[in-house]
Amino acid sequence: MISMRAWPTSNMLAAELLKVRKRWMPYALLLLMVAGAAILIWLGGYGSWVEERNDPEFGYGQESLRTFALPWSLTGLLDSGQFWGAILVGILVASAVATEHGWGTVRQALIRGRTRSQYLTAKLLSIAIAAAITLLLAFGVGVGFSVIATALADRPITLDVPGGPSVPGVALMVLRAGYGIIPYALLAFCLAVVGRSTTLGVVGILFFMFVEAIVLGILGEQSGWAADARAFFPGHNVQALLAANRIGSLGGNSLAPRDPALTDLPDPAIAALVLAAYCVGFLAIAFVIFQRRDINA
Amino acid sequence: MSNDNPDVVLRTVGLTKRYRRLLALDDLNLEVCRGQVFGFLGPNGAGKTTTIALILGLIAPTAGHVEMFGLDTRRHLSGVLRRTGAILETPSLYPHLSGRDNLRVWGALSGGVEGKRVDEALDLVGLRGRGRDKVRTYSLGMKQRLGLAAALLHDPELLVLDEPTNGLDPAGMREVREVIRGLGQIGRTVFVSSHLLSEVEQMCDHVGIVKEGRLLTQGSVATLLRQGEALEMEVTEPDRAVRVLGSLAWVNGVRRDHDRLLVEAPRERAAELSRALAEQQIYLSELRPREGSLEEFFLEVTGKEAVQ
Repeated sequence: MISMRAWPTSNMLAAELLKVRKRWMPYALLLLMVAGAAILIWLGGYGSWVEERNDPEFGYGQESLRTFALPWSLTGLLDSGQFWGAILVGILVASAVATEHGWGTVRQALIRGRTRSQYLTAKLLSIAIAAAITLLLAFGVGVGFSVIATALADRPITLDVPGGPSVPGVALMVLRAGYGIIPYALLAFCLAVVGRSTTLGVVGILFFMFVEAIVLGILGEQSGWAADARAFFPGHNVQALLAANRIGSLGGNSLAPRDPALTDLPDPAIAALVLAAYCVGFLAIAFVIFQRRDINA
Repeated sequence: MSNDNPDVVLRTVGLTKRYRRLLALDDLNLEVCRGQVFGFLGPNGAGKTTTIALILGLIAPTAGHVEMFGLDTRRHLSGVLRRTGAILETPSLYPHLSGRDNLRVWGALSGGVEGKRVDEALDLVGLRGRGRDKVRTYSLGMKQRLGLAAALLHDPELLVLDEPTNGLDPAGMREVREVIRGLGQIGRTVFVSSHLLSEVEQMCDHVGIVKEGRLLTQGSVATLLRQGEALEMEVTEPDRAVRVLGSLAWVNGVRRDHDRLLVEAPRERAAELSRALAEQQIYLSELRPREGSLEEFFLEVTGKEAVQ
């Protein structure tokens, strides 16, 4: 629970949003996410389907069809959106936090009569708003691509397929994917605050994701406690959330190698709690250190 | 309220900062009263920036505390900072924003200011014409002026300025000095650190001198300069004159430079001094007052530290 002393004023939030809005990074993030969606829908999906649709060896392109056609494309878009979103939002967060130290503006901000917690909270909220808008826009464009590709393939544009989601169900799918981004973004935030360095935040999150994927892969080959230990890793719990986004019997379509069997994953509700614990931990470290440290630059 | 004198706007009480083995600030006790333009003077590395960072709550003291507007900043930091404007060493600005947007950001963080006030602040520092340009295109002097505008934006009661003329050309330095003097004239309190003696002498009515983390002296510039006042004279018998003058209780000291004597005594007692010599048949051929300078005073108290 954030106390009133930590909650920023609307003026502070507006100032932070102005700063984020005037950076090029959110626009680069949007461009990369849209490019990712285009690759997934047009190259990985529609383009492959055009080549495979008459070929029995490739199942008449059914797998490719499910990559670009609604509603199955939603799973792939959100799955890859979570993976690349975690990296790109992590970079945005680390940069937004650490460059203030480099420019010395963090000192100027802190001598204006606001608490340090308010400062950090305003920064986090502004980045969260900017990232949410950017990612939703990219998702919207991806869905738009999917609608066009589905129409070009002369398939019905509908959510009404076996195991297909309702409209609120789609919103829940988006929330699950978005929630899977937060622990990684907060890890980058925590590292950038602690190290006062964009590099530490960016390299830290990439290193963590890389090592985590390897460790999860190794543990997945084991049994007993070693396999159970995966439940403590954020990546495994994110997989559980994304697995809940699967439509019908379809596996993951994303670029990210994260399609273990459902029985091998934690319950999504438990996974959400584990991820929340990580979020609280990263936030607590960042806020406590920032609160206590001398700000010399 | 722990401050007995309501006129004291800024007070440091036993303020001490230690970085491992380095004692950056040692038991600093300062008082700045309402309406004063207080010069905080010291050689580079004396502890001026550390003091300002402590005052503004950016770093935590090892011992002691700061009171602003009669309130202990350990409990009321946010409240007192809202009544304070500050510049810290080098100008800290967002290079990807325009000058105007920088002021909008700082204004919002200070609780919100109107667009009109942003224009006024840009006018004040002569940057209205460049307000829409990105700060990354500004010269250091322009950045410094924008920093001053940011400090003045919310019309603070107290200004804390760390080397505000850094990076400015002579004309810019003069403009900033005039702004600061003007603020003093309208009753604002200004605490300004500098290592430039002439600058402090021109801007400030009070001064504190710090060296190696210790406050050596503080007081009004007029009083401190009066301590350096002397009467310069030429007499018929310098050796005997030194003995006669040395016996006078109100003469603080006599120095001899060939036939000239430099007598540390209040200038209003020149006539008494002349009479005392005449009574001993020593006659003056020349007598004139000599003004003290802050530079002389500074060199005296800091042990002839090299300064500009």
